Amino acid sequence: MMYNGVQCEFPPGYDGTVLLERLQPILDPELDESILQLGFIQSLHVHDGHATIAVQLPTSWCAANFAYMMADDIRRALLTVEGIHQVTVRLQDHFAAEAIETAVNAGKPFAEAFPGEGCGSLSALRVTFLHKGFTSRQERLLRALRAVGFLPEDICALRVGDVVVQGDACVVQRAGHASIEVGAAETLCRYLARRAELGLDCAATAPLMTDLRGHPLTVERLEAYYQTARTVRVSLEANGLFCRTLLTVSQPNAGERAR
Amino acid sequence: MYTHQGQDIFVIDGHTHLWDASPANWRNKYGEGWIKCFYAFHNGLSPAEATWPFEKFCQYGEETLVDDLFFKGYVDMGILNSTYLYEFYLNGFNSHSQNNAIKAKYPDRFILCGSFDPRAEEAGLDAFHQMVEEYPIQGLKLYTAEWRDGSRGWRLNDPWAYKYLDLCQELGIKNLHVHKGPTVYPLSRDAFDVHDVDYAATDFPDLNFIVEHVGLPRLEDFCWIATQESNVYAGLSVAMAFSRLRPQYFAEIIANLLFWLGPDKLCFGSDYAIWSPKWLIEKFMAFELPDDIKKEYGVDLTLEIKRKILGENAARLYGIDIAMQKAKLSQDGIGVKLATVA
Repeated sequence: MMYNGVQCEFPPGYDGTVLLERLQPILDPELDESILQLGFIQSLHVHDGHATIAVQLPTSWCAANFAYMMADDIRRALLTVEGIHQVTVRLQDHFAAEAIETAVNAGKPFAEAFPGEGCGSLSALRVTFLHKGFTSRQERLLRALRAVGFLPEDICALRVGDVVVQGDACVVQRAGHASIEVGAAETLCRYLARRAELGLDCAATAPLMTDLRGHPLTVERLEAYYQTARTVRVSLEANGLFCRTLLTVSQPNAGERAR
Repeated sequence: MYTHQGQDIFVIDGHTHLWDASPANWRNKYGEGWIKCFYAFHNGLSPAEATWPFEKFCQYGEETLVDDLFFKGYVDMGILNSTYLYEFYLNGFNSHSQNNAIKAKYPDRFILCGSFDPRAEEAGLDAFHQMVEEYPIQGLKLYTAEWRDGSRGWRLNDPWAYKYLDLCQELGIKNLHVHKGPTVYPLSRDAFDVHDVDYAATDFPDLNFIVEHVGLPRLEDFCWIATQESNVYAGLSVAMAFSRLRPQYFAEIIANLLFWLGPDKLCFGSDYAIWSPKWLIEKFMAFELPDDIKKEYGVDLTLEIKRKILGENAARLYGIDIAMQKAKLSQDGIGVKLATVA
């Protein structure tokens, strides 16, 4: 049976939706998008508590480090599901599939997948891309605020608590002002989620727009900051698009999976 | 030559290949994987009429290249990239000596790029000297993700790379086309990282670094570096191919490049045979930045800027006088045949 374009095989009566839910937050770190929505998950089979998952990346040359991160994140996420005691990740058609699968499926670190190739930990790389994702998510919120006419002084004065989700929309509610809708709720949620993930202050009284160190953006700095952030967002989105296009060529079904 | 409302536009295709990726040349599964990946780029973004069967894509030969570039594709001159990949292909993917065969036939039509690999250390310096003596090398293509004896890449600021860059200055080779690939040492770092270009560009101010594919997938890092360094340029291949399927992103990429780098540092490239210049140039010439993008970025893609991107900027880098070059090209075999067709 198919769930969101993923070919699934579960034991009779088994509810596999929880597995797919656990996969949902896993991101392609380089693109800052869900691997499920990118269409990277080809199939998911569960037999006797053993989950086997096939991952198809856009090309066989996708960078080994990011491929490892995604495979490792998948395995860890599925192992948190009650009743799943073993996970096997298969990387389809990838130049380093064997090395990555062997390490990931045995729970070994990246350095052990490629001994002697100068592999340290991937944590610094992961942080770099969490930061790029932060900037890109923040740019979308900044863009939405600018689009409805917020001036730099308005934007810099906003607190986290001034912006709320109402249905599918993001709404600015400031004392003494009429409420204004500023784009999709998802834009705000994604920004705040990453902000929290990075350990930045998300209290209602905290400034809405801060840099990666948590320093509030000042009116003088805002325009230059936005211009840089805009390029980060364009870069990430263009790469995501390129990857989706490539995946659709090799895997016509991926179009169905991808959102 | 592209003609727009009676005006000639001189075209230099900054990124072309004449490769042999036929199965007989595959050394191993990587040779197969490599060309299949290229084919996915080709197949995913080319219009139907410009999409080839895989067999043709593996090896298309000289005549096809000449036809696609000069007769169908509006190109006046092409820069031949040399990418060796000896660990994937028995005779290499496209070496400078293979490329030179076509350069020898049409000397005024091509700019031949050689290459170096700093991991060859001292012995490679001699080989580099020899290459420059034996071949009409005008520029270099540097592919930092090439595999070699268990290593999966190098960086432009490696100590040995600097010795080669010194030699480039000494030999008067000024233009270096730099391409990042997916597997660079050490594997735990970002394989597409372009910051090594920053170091090299600062330390070698007399060399020009043309970063192919505008640093994609690291457009933001590339823009930052190219803004700081006056000798860093953008090669537009890959970005060009967005023009057909994703014009909105093409517009945003171009607007970012114009915003950060300005119109004098952007050079057209098709990455032939991944994509053919005919459709890329037709799309590009018909393309205009949408008003909202123009307004937001404060830039425009005028006809004058298109001329710079398509040929004038690369001509300046390679010291080509366009009027003189046009006169020369009208006399070569291709020019004469083009005149009879027209």
